[in-house]
Formats: sequence, structure tokens, C-alpha cells
Amino acid sequence: MPKKAFWLIFLYTALFILGVNTGDLTQLHHLGTTICLACVGVG
Amino acid sequence: MNRFRWLIQTLVALGTNSYLLFPFGGSVIYQGPLKAVCHPGLNCYSCPGALLSCPVGAFQNFMASLRFGMGGIPNFGAIVLGYVGFIGSVVGRLTCGWICPFGFIQDLLHKLPTRKFSLWKPLRWTKYGFLVVMVVIMPVLLVDKTGLGHPWFCKLVCPAGTLEGALPLLALKPSLWGGVGFYFWNKLTILILILGAVICISRFFCRVICPLGAFYSLFSRISLVQLEFVEGNCVECGACVRKCPTGVVPNQEFDSPECIMCLRCVDACHFSALDFGIRRPLGKPAKVKRVTSPL
Repeated sequence: MPKKAFWLIFLYTALFILGVNTGDLTQLHHLGTTICLACVGVG
Repeated sequence: MNRFRWLIQTLVALGTNSYLLFPFGGSVIYQGPLKAVCHPGLNCYSCPGALLSCPVGAFQNFMASLRFGMGGIPNFGAIVLGYVGFIGSVVGRLTCGWICPFGFIQDLLHKLPTRKFSLWKPLRWTKYGFLVVMVVIMPVLLVDKTGLGHPWFCKLVCPAGTLEGALPLLALKPSLWGGVGFYFWNKLTILILILGAVICISRFFCRVICPLGAFYSLFSRISLVQLEFVEGNCVECGACVRKCPTGVVPNQEFDSPECIMCLRCVDACHFSALDFGIRRPLGKPAKVKRVTSPL
């Protein structure tokens, strides 16, 4: 396995876990379940 | 291989937009637990059928509310960055070619029988501008009185949001028409222009505008998998170049950031000069395979 790819996979996995542990999951769920008015072009 | 890719694209596009209860539920969009997961491709989370969140929209919203988290650990969207970074590190832009629903829509539209044009190559750099300026800088810096920013790419440009989110939602929820103004008409105009461009220029949006494609392309030289070129087998017939939907010259531009790994070039090559697999360590050349000329 190429070293750079391995380290990047490790780094981004750690970042993902950090996000899960800092409450990003709840915020992401909240974002996804609210109609995005910016996407609709309203407001 | 190309038929298999079409099948995967169809299954992913339909599968990840398969919430069919939107006309009957209280809200017109899916609100279940899957919305805490991002789609690997560009797919508006305000699409009534969408089961997953959009990574570009979610990341902008994290950036937009960055100032609120400054007291403790700032929520800079580590979950989204980690998710798309992981995908990029493993497969690079393969997601664009195989998984992205908006890429699939572009592939379908480009099949319309019209005159086709090639892209002016310097335009390929603009997608990095959209990524840096509209997805990162503007949501952080352009804030309202409360200190909250806006997802500017979604608000000003995103044609996937207009096509998959705005138009169906306005049809399903007529009350939204009350707020329609400049932003909607601006985005509708952009959508029409982009769809027109996509019909004539293959994968125009992916090559010129898409911030997610720009992010994934940063991994093209280091991702775990790669498109491999076996120099000894190449007869420079140009078959791969003619098939490439993003205008890459596979036998000259190795690990091109524009390559979406659709593998049409691998299919087109009758001399086994192109292959797809795990990246080799530097200095370890690809094995030359003995092939019988099909000519």
C-alpha cells in the first residue's frame, strides 16, 4: 500500500472520529432534516 | 464495463433518492437517521426523495456557523471533511464517475443528439476557485448581524440544489413561492445555462464548477487506487482519448486531476495499455502484458 495514501486514510479517519465525538453528527442530522432555503433560493 | 457503470450510477441515484413517502409525511423531505450520513457525491439534501445529506451543503453550513463554536472546540465540519477525505484518499475521483447522481444526470443529458464541443482547458481551474471562495471563505467571512454565515455556493450557484431541491419543493409546497426572489431566479438561470452546456460539453459542471470534484481531484496523485498506464503496450492509436468524457489524454497525463475513473479508456484500449488497480510504490513500473493485436 502506498505510504501517502495510508497516512491520509489514517488522518481522515481520525478527523471523522473527532467529528463524531464533538457533536457533528447531531448537527449534520439537524441540517439534513431541515429544508435548505438556500438550496431552494428562498430568503 | 461501461454498462456496469451505468447500472451502478442508476442504482445509486435511485437508491439514495428513494424516500417515497414525501407526499404523505408531515415534512416533504426525509427526516430519518440516515440524514446524519453524507452522500459521497453531489446530491441535494432538500430533494424530497433524498435519504442522505449533501457533503458540500453540510460543510458550508458548518463553516457558516463556525464563529458560534469558537468558545469551545470549533465545529469545522470534521465529520464531513473526514468522510470525503477518506473517500478521496481511497478512490480519488472515482466517485464522480460512478456514484455522483448529478454526474449521472450529466451523462444522460450529454447523450442527447446535438453538436458536441470540447472545453477550453483553462476553465478547468475555476472549480478550485468555487471550492475555496464559495464553500470555505464566503460562509466564514460574510456573516449577518447574528454572526451566522450562509452556504453561498448553495445559495448562488448549485444547479443540483435547484434541480433536485428547489423545483420539486416549490411544486410540493406552494407556500414557498412567497419567498421566491432574486436568488431563485438567479439559480434557475444558472441551472438552465449549465444544463445547456452539459448537453454540448461532456461533464461541464464536474470539470468547471463542482467544488466536490475539485476536492476529490486533490487526491488524484496519491489515492490508493489509480488508473495505470503500461507504456510498453501503448501504440498511440488515440482510442482512449476519443472516449474520455473529461478530455484527458490518458497516455500523457498520468494521474490527471480531471480523470473521473469512469474506465471508458480501459474499455477502449485493445492493447491493455491502461489498467485500474492499487497504486504501485514509486519506482515500481507496471508489468508489460503480452497482448495479441486485435487488428
